[in-house]
Amino acid sequence: MKITQNSTDTTLTLLLDGELDASSSVLLDNELSKPEILRYQKILVDCRQLNYISSAGLGVFISHLQTFQDANVKLIFFNMQEKVHNVFEILGLDSLMTIVPSLAEAEAA
Amino acid sequence: MSFVRKIHPFLLPFSVLSWLALLICTLLYVHPTLMAGLPTPPGWLLLGLQALFTAAIFLQERYQTERLRGIDFNRLLRHLVLGPALVAAVCVGLHLGMHYAQQPLPAAGSVLFTVFYTINVGLFVLLLARTNYTWRSLVLFHGTERLRRQWLWFEILLGVTLLLRLLSWTPPLGLATGLLGVLAAFGAYLSGRQKWVAYLNRRQKLEAVLLQLAVILVMGLFVFYFQHTQTVLRLLAPPTQNAFLLLNAFFAGFYALMGLLVTLFNLPTAGVFEQKREEILSMQRLTQLIQRGQTPEEVYRMFFDSAIQTVGADAAWLLVEDVENEYTGQLYQLRPEQGEAIRQLLTDYNLNNIEYLNNDLANSSFRQLELPYGSLMVMPLHSSKRQYGNIYMLKQYAQAFDRENLSILQTFASQTVLSIENLQLIQASLLTQRVQDELKIASAVQESLIPKNLPIDNWFEISSHAVSATEVGGDFYDFLHLPGRRLAVLIGDVSGKGVTAAFHVAQMKGIFHALMQENPLARNEREKFPVPSKFMAQANDALGRCLEKSAFITASLYIIDYEHGGFVFARAGHCHTLYYHSIKEEVSYFHTTGLGLGIIRNDGYEKHIKNQFYDYNPGDVMVIYTDGIVEARDAAQDEYGEDRLLRMLEQSFYLDADQIKEYILTDLNEFSKGQPMHDDQTLLVIKFKAAQPEAGL
Repeated sequence: MKITQNSTDTTLTLLLDGELDASSSVLLDNELSKPEILRYQKILVDCRQLNYISSAGLGVFISHLQTFQDANVKLIFFNMQEKVHNVFEILGLDSLMTIVPSLAEAEAA
Repeated sequence: MSFVRKIHPFLLPFSVLSWLALLICTLLYVHPTLMAGLPTPPGWLLLGLQALFTAAIFLQERYQTERLRGIDFNRLLRHLVLGPALVAAVCVGLHLGMHYAQQPLPAAGSVLFTVFYTINVGLFVLLLARTNYTWRSLVLFHGTERLRRQWLWFEILLGVTLLLRLLSWTPPLGLATGLLGVLAAFGAYLSGRQKWVAYLNRRQKLEAVLLQLAVILVMGLFVFYFQHTQTVLRLLAPPTQNAFLLLNAFFAGFYALMGLLVTLFNLPTAGVFEQKREEILSMQRLTQLIQRGQTPEEVYRMFFDSAIQTVGADAAWLLVEDVENEYTGQLYQLRPEQGEAIRQLLTDYNLNNIEYLNNDLANSSFRQLELPYGSLMVMPLHSSKRQYGNIYMLKQYAQAFDRENLSILQTFASQTVLSIENLQLIQASLLTQRVQDELKIASAVQESLIPKNLPIDNWFEISSHAVSATEVGGDFYDFLHLPGRRLAVLIGDVSGKGVTAAFHVAQMKGIFHALMQENPLARNEREKFPVPSKFMAQANDALGRCLEKSAFITASLYIIDYEHGGFVFARAGHCHTLYYHSIKEEVSYFHTTGLGLGIIRNDGYEKHIKNQFYDYNPGDVMVIYTDGIVEARDAAQDEYGEDRLLRMLEQSFYLDADQIKEYILTDLNEFSKGQPMHDDQTLLVIKFKAAQPEAGL
């Protein structure tokens, strides 16, 4: 798992590359737990290279969901592969989180 | 050889008999008038009997079981000296003593004298045999195959000299002397094999010297005796087997003499050998401490004592800086402030925690400490990962330590560190073992939570399968009969693995049984039990208070009303239900929405969960499962997937519930063959049947 960060003043883009399983989700959790992350208005998660997400990986996003909402930070996923999207959908997370097809729509959201 | 082994038990009685015969013949030979009726035996008979007796005794000794036990050489020597040598010496001494005391008995040439003489000859042969085969054990100790062959030749040649005497052929004088000389030289050459001496310590060497001296004395006594009997008395008997016995006596005496000299000259170096042995023994003790599972403190103490003893230090300090231990080291003949001062000085010069040797303290910076010592050696105790401490060793005089001491100390130090780290490993593994045992208990507890008796009714068939990837799993399912011919079926999966997940499984089961109780305040029949969506909302509420932030649970609850042929279910983020519609003859997934439990922990959850109603028909099949099934992977890391599961039901819907389950599992196992199981797997197959067996069939 590789996490690449890109940030502007208002937006942080995270590029997830690889499989988000129990061990790599610790890395992601460390990133999302940093206090300065709440300065951004939007956190865009680029899932183009994300091949697999385990329940531990989902748990990381779930655990930060409330904090982001309270701080008015929007969490937006884009470029999600079909099978990863399916995992979000089965768990019902698509109704809680913003998942859009492309970067353009993510920036517009 | 096997022939000799067979007759070995008879050799002793045979030798006794031959000796008795020899005695009688000698008596008759020397005193022809003793028994008038009997003829005087010829000389060759005496020689023959003597040879037979000698051969029997030597063979008997040769095939005796090995007397040497391990490296207990002195025991071997003691048995020789206190056994045959003592008896022979007493007998010979008695005879000589009586002779010199000029007792009336035994007059030279008397019968008693002859008896005594013959007894002494017998004892001499026995002593020689025993001595030579004792020497064999010593010569061949750690000997090569070549040496064994040489010894065999030595024996064979000696045997030949015994036979030579029997033949009435007398070799020319020069040849006999030459042969004797060669054999004596051979014996002298073999006498150089004295390896065993090196294995004795100082005390044992002294004892060995005394014992060998005793052997030489006894041999000398016999020489004196035979000389005496030959010169003083008229000829009593034909000469003994001269060459053979002479050679043997020579070898016995010469080997003892050589051994004596070697031992004597080894005495000064015995201390060095002993020290080396002590080092090895200390090392062994240190190693054995690990196996006996002692504490680190004992290992340190052992190290300290061994180091002082081996190096011969006049003062020492072991400083242990191991945070996991209360033991901080110990001092020997040194005051704490002295040790501290040395340490401080070394630290100042940046020399702490490295090997250090200073043989001239008086002429270095240590002078300022005014220590009464001339030499210092410091050895750190460390592994590649950690520093455990230092040992400081001091000697009174300068130039007292050498490189050798340093390397020994280094070996001790590494062995100690190895022991300490081994102990830590053992302790860690014990802890792991305890956790494993507790997991086994948890596993057994969880096993007892799985419903053992599946509901049975003629309206449906249920078949179930559940395995966990680890000792305790995060999957669960349960059944509950409700009044009015209804059945509640719950299936679910707790995120994460291990004990935490297992704990939430138990909690979820508790919630299920608590919420599925009849509500006495219900206004109508339908409200007596919570509908699935209501159940999920209540469960979400209950779980929200105790589930850790990143954990969630997926579940599906089905309430089957088999009186009315329908069911209602809600899916809280759990895998889609696979269903075979017998009327439409089609297999599909129920695509319903529903959020997992524990994801949002406020009142808003109810918006995210829906009930789905369905009327089933006889022959319909419902397959419910956890993600361990559809996310099972093959060698190429591809997932089993919903599509393949669907195709399996298309191929097997007409079978019994059990057979459908087996059909799916067979395919799944084929798919994931050779791959480790990543997640728990649970699979339930429910097949609805006609309400009653149709009449007339």
